[in-house]
Parts: sequence; C-alpha cells; structure tokens
Amino acid sequence: MYSVVQPNGWVALRLPSDTTKVLQVIPNTTISLGKYGSFPSNLIIHRPFHLTYELEDKREDESYCRLRVVPPSELYADVIAEEDEAQGCTTPGDQSDKILSATDGVEFSLVDDDGKVIAKSNRETIDDNARQTLTMEEIEELKREGTGAGKDIIAKLLLSHTALDQKTSFSLAKYKLLKTRKYIRRFQVLPLDVPLLGKWMLEEKDAMRVMEMRDEMIGLVGCWANVHYAGEDVTLDELNASRRGATNEEVTDEDRLKGLEEEVKPIDGRWLVIDDTSGFLVGAMAERMGILYQEEEEIKEQPTEQAVQASSEIKAENDTSNEIDQTKPKEQTAEQAVQVSSELEAENDTSNDIDQTKPELRKLALPKKLQPRSHDFQIPYSQTNTITLLHAASQPNLSFLTYYGFDVQNPNHPPHPLINHLLPLTWLQLLHPEKDSAYTTPPPHLPQEKLTAMKTNRRGGYHRKRRRYARVRHIVDSARAGNFSGLAVASTMEPISILQHTLPLLAGGAPIAIYSPSIEPLSELADCFSVARRSAWMSPETAPPETIGKTAAELERWEGNDDFPLNPTLLLNVMIQTSRARRWQVLPQRTHPVMTDRGGSEGYVFTAFRARPAEGRVEARGKHTAKRRKVGEKSADASAAGTPAPTEARVGGHS
Amino acid sequence: MNQKSQHNTMAPDSSIVSPFLKPGTVTKPHGLAIVQLSRDNLVPVYLQDTKGAHDGYAEGAVVNTRYGSFPHSTLIGVPWGSQIRASNVDTGSRGRKRKRNIGDEGGNEDAEDGAGAKQANKEEVEGNDEQVLPKKATTASSGFVHVLPPTPELWTASLPHRTQVVYTPDYSFILHRIRARPGTRLIEAGAGSGSFTHASVRACYNGYPLSDTDRKGKVFSFEYHEQRFQKMKVELSSHGLDGLVHLTHRDVYKDGFNVNGVSPEAEAIFLDLPAPWEALPHLSRSRPASKQSLGTEENPWVSPLNPRKSAHLCTFSPCIEQVTKTVSAMRRLGWVNIEMVEICNRRIQVFRDRVGLNLPVERGANLTPANVMEAVARQAEIEERFKEHARSGPSTGEMEIDEDVEADTKDGEAIRAAAAAAGYKVWKEGKLITKGEAEVKTHTSYLVFAVLPREWSEKEEAAASARWPCGGEEKVIGALNKEARRREKQKVHEGQKKKGAKKSMEGAAIAALDVPCKPDGVRAS
Repeated sequence: MYSVVQPNGWVALRLPSDTTKVLQVIPNTTISLGKYGSFPSNLIIHRPFHLTYELEDKREDESYCRLRVVPPSELYADVIAEEDEAQGCTTPGDQSDKILSATDGVEFSLVDDDGKVIAKSNRETIDDNARQTLTMEEIEELKREGTGAGKDIIAKLLLSHTALDQKTSFSLAKYKLLKTRKYIRRFQVLPLDVPLLGKWMLEEKDAMRVMEMRDEMIGLVGCWANVHYAGEDVTLDELNASRRGATNEEVTDEDRLKGLEEEVKPIDGRWLVIDDTSGFLVGAMAERMGILYQEEEEIKEQPTEQAVQASSEIKAENDTSNEIDQTKPKEQTAEQAVQVSSELEAENDTSNDIDQTKPELRKLALPKKLQPRSHDFQIPYSQTNTITLLHAASQPNLSFLTYYGFDVQNPNHPPHPLINHLLPLTWLQLLHPEKDSAYTTPPPHLPQEKLTAMKTNRRGGYHRKRRRYARVRHIVDSARAGNFSGLAVASTMEPISILQHTLPLLAGGAPIAIYSPSIEPLSELADCFSVARRSAWMSPETAPPETIGKTAAELERWEGNDDFPLNPTLLLNVMIQTSRARRWQVLPQRTHPVMTDRGGSEGYVFTAFRARPAEGRVEARGKHTAKRRKVGEKSADASAAGTPAPTEARVGGHS
Repeated sequence: MNQKSQHNTMAPDSSIVSPFLKPGTVTKPHGLAIVQLSRDNLVPVYLQDTKGAHDGYAEGAVVNTRYGSFPHSTLIGVPWGSQIRASNVDTGSRGRKRKRNIGDEGGNEDAEDGAGAKQANKEEVEGNDEQVLPKKATTASSGFVHVLPPTPELWTASLPHRTQVVYTPDYSFILHRIRARPGTRLIEAGAGSGSFTHASVRACYNGYPLSDTDRKGKVFSFEYHEQRFQKMKVELSSHGLDGLVHLTHRDVYKDGFNVNGVSPEAEAIFLDLPAPWEALPHLSRSRPASKQSLGTEENPWVSPLNPRKSAHLCTFSPCIEQVTKTVSAMRRLGWVNIEMVEICNRRIQVFRDRVGLNLPVERGANLTPANVMEAVARQAEIEERFKEHARSGPSTGEMEIDEDVEADTKDGEAIRAAAAAAGYKVWKEGKLITKGEAEVKTHTSYLVFAVLPREWSEKEEAAASARWPCGGEEKVIGALNKEARRREKQKVHEGQKKKGAKKSMEGAAIAALDVPCKPDGVRAS
C-alpha cells in the first residue's frame, strides 16, 4: 500500500458527518466536499494518509482554500480536558472557548442528572419557545461569511442557545457535537484499501453488491481458506527449462501447442474462487496474497529538487500531460474497437477511469516487468500464488478492482500484479470445454511473408488471437487438472452445486470457506456431510448401489444423487459460524456499546477441509460399532489386506 | 511484488519453507502434521521415521488415540487429507518398567507427542546399536484418523499449551483491520501461546529474507515470561519460522520494541498485554514526553515504527478498565480513528429434527406428536379403546387392558419396521434446523484499534507543494452543488466558444464529473 496519496489514485475522504466520499484524486482539479467547502486536489497529492485537514479561510490574494493539518491534540481537546478535570488537574473554565472536537463514532446518551453548567449564554432569555435565537437568515449569513473553518458559527450557535445553561454537561457535549458535525470544515484522507471499500459499500453505498459481507466475514473466509502469499512467481518456461533445455527457435505451432498440454503441471499455491461480489472477494484475497497493490513509485528523491527549482515549468508540463490524457482515451478505445474482436467490449466508462491513471502507471513499471514474449504461445501466468476465478457470465464482473487500477477487460493493460496472477474461466469451460469456442477454435496460422505484408493493426489482431488461444488453453487445462490449495466462495449460486464440481479439483487437506449472507444454503450443505449421511454412505445396506465397487478416486468424481448430493466422505471438520463485531463508545464516564448498528444479514461462513477417504470400507471405532462390526467384519478385513491403502495408487488415482 | 527471476534459483526450496506456508502435497518425515481424531479433537504430531523400535513399540513411534494406534510410518508419505486406518499395535506388553499408564491411551496423546519428540533423539541413539528395522504395521479392523497440513487455524485449535489463546474469530478480524499483508512488519507483544504469531506470520509472509539487508515482511514478537519464551523459540524453529519471526525475551513496558537498538520499522502492532498504556509511549514517532530518560545524546531515541507509513494498532484487553486507560493514553499520544469493538462469534449446529408418533425407533427421534392432528388422532384412538373396553363389560379385569396396551406397542414396532424396510432414510427425514452450539464464548477481549499517521515535516510539505502547485485548477470533482455545477458548465461553454478545436475538454470534464459519483455504475447494472 502506498505511503502517500498518489496522483490519479483513489482515496476516501471522511467528512465530519461520518460520510465517506470516494474519489479519484486527479491533479489540478478542485475537490468539492459539498457544504463543507472545496479545495485544490494538489493539496493532498503526495501527502500522507490518515491526516485530518481543516479548510482554512481563503486568503485575500488566492482563489482557493488552503488546508491546515489538525493535530490530534486538537481533535481530542474536549475529551482530554474532561479527563483532566475529572482528575482535578485543571480548574473548570469556560469550555466554550476550548477548541471544538469531532471525536469519531461518539454518541452521547447518558445524561447526568446533577450535571453542572459548564457554559453559559451571555444573553437574556428572549423567547422561551424559540431556543435557538439566531434566525435562519442569520445562520445563512454566518455560513456564507463564516470563518475559522466553521468554528465561529458553532460557537455563535452555542451562545445563542437560550437553554444552554439548562443542559447537563453530557447533553451539552452532544449538542455541540451535533453542530460540529454539521458545520466544522474538516476531513480526513484515507487509503481506499479493501477494508475501507467494504465498509463504504456496506454502510453507505450498496450493501447487496458485496453480499453484505462485513470485515469479520472477509477475515474469516481469508483465514479459513488459508489464503496467503505462496511464493515467488514461477513461469512455465522456468519450470520446463530444466526438462527441455534451451528452446529451439524453429519450433512449429503444433509442437508448442503440444508442449502447452504437457506443461500443465499444477503446483501448489493456487486458489479457486467463486465471486459474485463484483470482485470484492477477489480483491480481498489478492490483498492477502500481495498481488492487489502496485509497487510504490519512488517519488521522493528524484523529482523534488527539480520541482523546487522550476515549479512553474512543471506546472506547464502537467498541463500538457493532462491534455494528452484527455485525448488518449478516445484514440485508444477507437483503436481497440477496430482491432479487437468480441472478447473486448471496451466500456467507455471504465476505460476512461483507467486511462486517467494510465500515464502514471506506465512510467512506473514498464522497464522492469514487461519483457517481450518470445512467441505467441508463451504463457504469461505465474504458476503459483494465483487466483483461478470461476464465473457464471461470459466475462467476470470485477468492477471493484478498477479502484486498484485493474480492468480485466482491458487488452493493453498497463502493468499490474493481477494480470499474471488472476486466471478467469467460465463454468462452461471448466465442465464442457469442448462446447466453448474460445477453447476449441484452433488459432490462426499464417506464413511469415503473409504476416509481414499485413497492416499493423491486423497483424496485432492475429497475434492477439493466438495469444488468447494459448491463454485460454492454459487456464482451462490447469483448472481441470485440479490440485488447488484452497477454495473461497461468495456466491449467489447453490453451494451444493458449486461443490459438486469443485470438490474433485481440490488437493487433499485443502481448506474450503464459503460465505453466505443467509444460513439456509450453508445448513443444507452441511447436512450433506452429517454423521447420519456419512454412516449411511459407509454401510452397504444404505449406500447408493451405483457407488458399490468403485474406487476412492472414482467416488471423488461421483456426480451425486438425491440421497447423496455429494460424496459425504470428501469433507472433514465441517463447521458453520457467524461473527459480529460489536462497536463501543469509549468516553470518560460513559463507555457503552453503541445504540444502533447496521442490521441486515448476519453473514455465515462454512468451513471444512478436503479429505481423501481411504480405499474400501473403513470402520469407525467408538460406541456404536459393536453391533455393526459383525456385519462388516468381512469387508473390512478384505479391504484391509493391503492397507494402509497403497499411496501410489491414490496419488495416481487423482487425475 | 518484486519477483526477480534470479530469486527463483536462490529461493529456499520447499523443504526449508515452513509447512504452515508451503506444506507440499504429501506428509514428510520430521514434518509437522495435524492428526484429526474428530472435529474438535486435533493432535499436532511431529512425524518421525524411526529406524527401529521406539519407546517400546515395535512399529517405531506411534500415535495412540482413543480411535486406535497409528504408527508414524503409516502417516508418512501420504497425501494431505488422507484417511489413515488404525494399526494393530501391541500397547499392552511394552515398557512395563516405565511408569506410563497404558490403559490411559486416549487421555495422554498430547503428553505422548511432546515426550515422544524429545525422546526421539535419545531413543535413536540407543536403538542404533540394535539396528532393528521397525516392525511393519498391520492394519486394525476398525478405527481411523485424518492427517491434515498445519494451518494457523488448526494449530490454534490443537495448541498443546493453553495459556492465553487468541482464537481465529479474533485474530482473523484483527489482522484484517491492522492491515497485516504480505510485506508488513508487525510487532506482537505478549507472544503467549503463539496462536497469533502463526496467523500473523502467514499474513505478513512475502518470502524469506535472503540476507540481513533484505527487507521482507516479518513478525517481531516479544514475550516477558521466560519459560514461555523458551518454549516458543523451540516451537518456531521446528516450524521453520526462524527467518520470519524475531522472538525477544523482554519487558516491553520498560525496554520498548527496538531489536538490538534497530527499529523494526513496524506498520502493524498487536498488543496482548495487561497494561497496553505502559507500552504505548514506546510506539511514538518521536521521543515521547514521558520517556525523556530514554535515549541520550550519543544514543538517540529510535522509533520502532516505519517512518513512511501509517501505523495500525490493536490492543487486546479483557477488562473495560484497561480499555478506558488505553484509549485515554492513545488520545494523548496522537493516535486517531480510535475504535473499540468486541467480537461475538457463534458456531452453529445443523441437524434434523425428527418429531412424530409414527417414526421408527431410532436415536435422535422424538416420538411425540408432530402436530395437533396427530395428537388428536392419538387421543381419539385411546378414547375409543376405553369405550370399547367399557362396553365389553367390567368382568374381564385389568389383565386385558395391559394386553391391549402391549398389543398397541407391538403394532407400533411393526409399523416402524415396515417403514424402515420401505426405505426410511434417517439422514433425509425430519426438518433441517440450525441452532447455536451448546457452549458459547461470550467474551474474549475488547479490541481497541487506532492509527498513528506518519510524521510530516515542513520540508516534506514544501517539496510536495512545489511539485503540486495550486491555483491552476480546471474542473471540480466530488460533490457539486447546483451553483458549482452551473459554473462548471459555463466554463466549459466559454472554453468551447474560445477554442472550438478544444473539443476533448468537454468530454474529459464530463467524464470527471461522472467518475467520482458513479465509478462503475454502468458495469454494476
């Protein structure tokens, strides 16, 4: 994650009203905070996160508001003063002179009956009915010419409140906070990382888009699916280098395609994901795997001196580069539209977002990462530390990843760690690759002389098609080969149907974590692995007739029936849990849980581990075996003859 | 991530990488495996390929459980997740001289493994003289376990020494909130039993450091308790985490968090201490007022925090008084976004509720009326029988009633037997219901989260403002009120009039207007 705000990067601004404003910090623009005022975006670029700023009054000769960093001592002045007072450190003075604070998440509700008056109005009571003596017009006037970042108006409002001396200290504090939230011109800059994105979506935007997945759930899914950084990138070429020696220049397409099939040798550190949260789950996993954020550009050393010398020059430069930005998107999208076939429906909306960040990204990483490919069929993907994403539509919906500079549909993507670590494929490709045209249509092949005669963009299209074919082949083949090290699911689809097809793909001992906003789908799933069902599966009288005599490897891929939708011996440690963080307000003398919180779905997580059942019938040892043992003795003995079941057979059996 | 291709050749091979991070595909000798007996009964086992009889067992090292005995030889070299059959192990005649209680196999598994691991070396030395191969294990007729790769979750659930444990619901949330990610440098004070340590290593891991100057994600763990420190140290080594965790035996209240005077440069901190406020002053950006004594001219005070990033902190305290003090200290030390939460985790049971008068007799079924109709029918039937009995005359006496009742129960059994024969599937019958597990952890600890922004000097501010000068703003982004929107439009129109050629301007401005409000609205729909 970045240490300072990036130009053209996404940030979240937290306002005094506790609302979050998510925006892209485009240089040389004015950021408007609505009623709290506006300021130039350049004032927060390359500044640290988590600082609280106050909008200063405009200076006479300037057309914009400057920002002042509010020190934490000022933010908490009220509470600290209160604590000191309680300890008798200071004499109770006129608190209305003190700086106003907007402590986060504060909620005053306990009212002390013998609370003493700590601030007094200096006006006589004029009208008992109208407690606030300032008229609407006066307030509007104050707002217009208000100075001191809104502190003025708040102080005036307090002083004009006729019943202020009747308020207890706590209700006064509450009143003050209310007015502060409304008028103080402050904001805090936060990095838009996954926890914040989730919180914002959940509490302010559209909770359904993230399937109401709270932080607790994201944390549980990530931990139980054991998602973590799995090691340095390994490419297929590196894997195969030792096996094949140096690559021959004169390799034909056929050889390479054949090689591609041979090359599918899954190694560990690959996670399988099903995500119906528009990329939120993928983002959270990528964050855990260290492939979500780009490496930070070293801004500090090189530009500063230069910049100090000739700021005006740079400003001019910025202006021109801005113009380039604005013209580039159109050109590029047009170009793409011509070149690229149906696969790439460039959406103006998103490509615009990306393009605005593009110039900066380009500078960032081009020389280091992008080595030219030696041939079209070279696989760009890493073989470890990857996310294989199964999606139900023809294109994966990963719109949240645009906040992190990744657009899955962009064919000419600027460098991003997700590009060679995210492998999307459709369910059709997984289950019936022969019905998928991208998988089955052989790549075009043209002789060299024809190719050189082609127009540039048609030649680009030719290479793109060939590359795409190799890519699809690799993704599908490696996914079907299985051996995934974990499965994470947040999907609106039935979990039973998902597991029917994904369980065989998991390596032994691989963890599974399935999130669901409601418990019913998960309880149905857990019921497939109930003790009763498992013992029915084991017992020859009740086991489904078509499974009898099959090997463990065959039973792993058994398609299931009404009685046994899934092979109940394939999962271990089945557990459903829910978790909820209860927030508290912590203030001197009034610490308690907050009164209200988000409702909606609790959220549940199903966890388990993939088991590899032993060959043949296995008798449990315990209370209830006594009766059954006589019946099963023979079969157990028969299968026990060569046990422990030969490991080679089991390894081989898992294809 | 900075993968450089030459690193691949230098990267430690999978045998050195901790089994927690890269377990491989099969169990290996000398590796850690989690043997699962039942859902909540997990035993960590360090697998040994003993060369001869071990500890009195002809088969070599053996895991004894209540589900049977499992020689290590049957657990080694199998794919993870495998179901392992029990073996016939002679547990009766071995080591009579020893004090070990043979009958108590199920109870002392933990002790068995701990002791087994320690004795392994001794035994091998003794055993080498004999050069006897271990007896080949023969499979028992019943009993099995599963062998699972170690993960922080399983380790936490199977912890051999139960001091204070930070359980998965808490640590998963904490690590998410304090932004522990690959590459993060994390301070953990109060290593305790190591559950959090293992989870945070997994979160921060982005490769083993290749040299002392190679900066990778790392956990700096501090433990005050001498014995626990020693135990943790052994444990971390045997788990292959030496390069990823730096464990220090220290009183952090007094001596802070620097390691040999060098800053860990942490950006995430977890304090599981009785008095976090005593440790907080050490976690400042510059020398705190209360610690003037620390650091001198020649030995300046060094902050343990990463000077370039915001530091995320979590404290873990069971009592509300601790929280009050901690939060108060945080406010005074410049921490912001202070938030206190408490995690309530519930595990949920799923089962089938079978209620009804006509169910076959089996465990778990509740043979009472399933609904009012059934109850009424039953009552009516009984009533009818009494009437019949009354009509047949009083002379018959009580005997007959008893027979009647007996006949009734026999009928019922016959019905149930018929139901079973007709394909009564006990695993599918009844209503599928869920409820909380019998025992609930209602309170673990209060979690206080806070953030300490990086320091921002005037020099840095001057450099940044020179690089990004103001005054040349062209458009407005973010919330727009009516007036601003109008002004924006006017500006665009004026621009168009002035320079007809500058068409792109409008497009960009409109895009800019739309972007912040609806960054991905189109694709969402």
